[in-house]
Amino acid sequence: MRKIFPADLLARDERFVRLTTEQRFMDPRSPGSRSNPRGALKLTPARPDAPDAARALMHGIFVGEVQALEGAGRTCWDFETGDGGDETPFALKLDMARQCWDEARHCEISVKLSDWMGTELGEFSESTFLYEAACNPDPVLRLTGVNRALEGLAIDVFNTMKEFGDVAGDPVLEFCEDWMLADEVTHVKMGSDWLRRLTEKDPERRERALEFQRVVDKLFSLGGFRGEDDDSPIRLARRFRELAGFDKEEMDDLAEISREAKDDADRMRERLVAQASADS
Amino acid sequence: MADPKKARAPFAPWDRRELPGAFTVEDSARRVGNYKWIEMKLFEVLGGWVATVPELDVKMRLGTHCYHHAWHSELWHKRLPELREMNPERLTMPANDELVAFVDAMTEPEAPELTIEKLVGVYRVLIPHKIAAYTFHLNNTSTITDAPTIRSLKFALQDEFEDWRDGEMLIQSLIDADEEIDRAAAHQAKLEKLMLAAGGIAGPGSIGSAYADQEVHA
Repeated sequence: MRKIFPADLLARDERFVRLTTEQRFMDPRSPGSRSNPRGALKLTPARPDAPDAARALMHGIFVGEVQALEGAGRTCWDFETGDGGDETPFALKLDMARQCWDEARHCEISVKLSDWMGTELGEFSESTFLYEAACNPDPVLRLTGVNRALEGLAIDVFNTMKEFGDVAGDPVLEFCEDWMLADEVTHVKMGSDWLRRLTEKDPERRERALEFQRVVDKLFSLGGFRGEDDDSPIRLARRFRELAGFDKEEMDDLAEISREAKDDADRMRERLVAQASADS
Repeated sequence: MADPKKARAPFAPWDRRELPGAFTVEDSARRVGNYKWIEMKLFEVLGGWVATVPELDVKMRLGTHCYHHAWHSELWHKRLPELREMNPERLTMPANDELVAFVDAMTEPEAPELTIEKLVGVYRVLIPHKIAAYTFHLNNTSTITDAPTIRSLKFALQDEFEDWRDGEMLIQSLIDADEEIDRAAAHQAKLEKLMLAAGGIAGPGSIGSAYADQEVHA
């Protein structure tokens, strides 16, 4: 089996439908798309489309968990064991194996929750940008991209979904999201701890890793999808991120990245609306 | 209540543990180093295969089992310094080159249509050999002096039995044609021959010798 497994070869059964990021943007159902320029809305039970929006988000969580499982598994395989720059320490591999188990459980939980919410597997599309971040050839960059940026996003998503379960009166959803949230805090903390340990004597590598994290964070801010405003669809979960090793400055930076992403998306939407008016 | 000052035997009547065992400290350390190496190879490939198998239930089980074997490797890693091996990496090694050849062949399948081969290698060949070697060690080491190894062997064996059952049932559920039985059998035979050449996961003597004219050696 090769080292570094490309995202386009990720193995799926016939139910799964894969979209590229471009196709996803062009999908009229996607928030912020050409046909849906209002952008993402906060998930509340009062929204007329709340059941479908929650089901779509849960399916997104499910495919995200599958890819997180695949990414953690590849980190066990892709690198030789050792303390060299292109190697992975034994203890880090053990953490990644533990993460495999956690992500496998999250897949199981998400499948059961999706069923509970009336969703068929494959009902919504899958894009592979989460796994793509897990393909970085530098294990430290992989850790910051996946364990700090993406698993950090998972903290925000699970916290939001847990609150939605509470407000919507769905104790099963709230219960499961809280358990997954606990695991995600552990995964992000793993990323924070390993980043510190592996780059202790290599500030340049640390800066490269943090820059990669910023790029992934911006990508996953998805046009203001995650932020600190009252109407942000996904709220930045500062309390849980702090438990996971984020300091205040990092969280302020993340909030700023999210604001920038939202401003970019607002400008794009204005352009699209203006263009649509001119066309009509 | 009985008189607390009354002398009692240090070993209770139901405690039949004995001092003698088949392994010296060095024997045990060498085997434990071999165990750690094979557990590492196993958890690494299970993790790597997750992305390559399309069957969702298999994908999730591989993720779960990946951790089981990582944890076993950690148990053995921690046991090595207790067996006077202060540099655990020194003994973290394959039993011989033949075992390396076995692992290379077992980890070779990658394509999504090769799930049967992936599972057969692990659940019909490697894990049964691990169960055999661990059981031999468990039943032959000193129940008093080597108690920490025994405890780890028991934890590991519990996982091995459960994972073997999971894997075997997955294989049975995937095979639904005569040709697939042939594929599974052919791959198993190929790997069994390589394992035979290696003599087991700890090399020759992995499960001792069953012949009357040969002493049991570690």
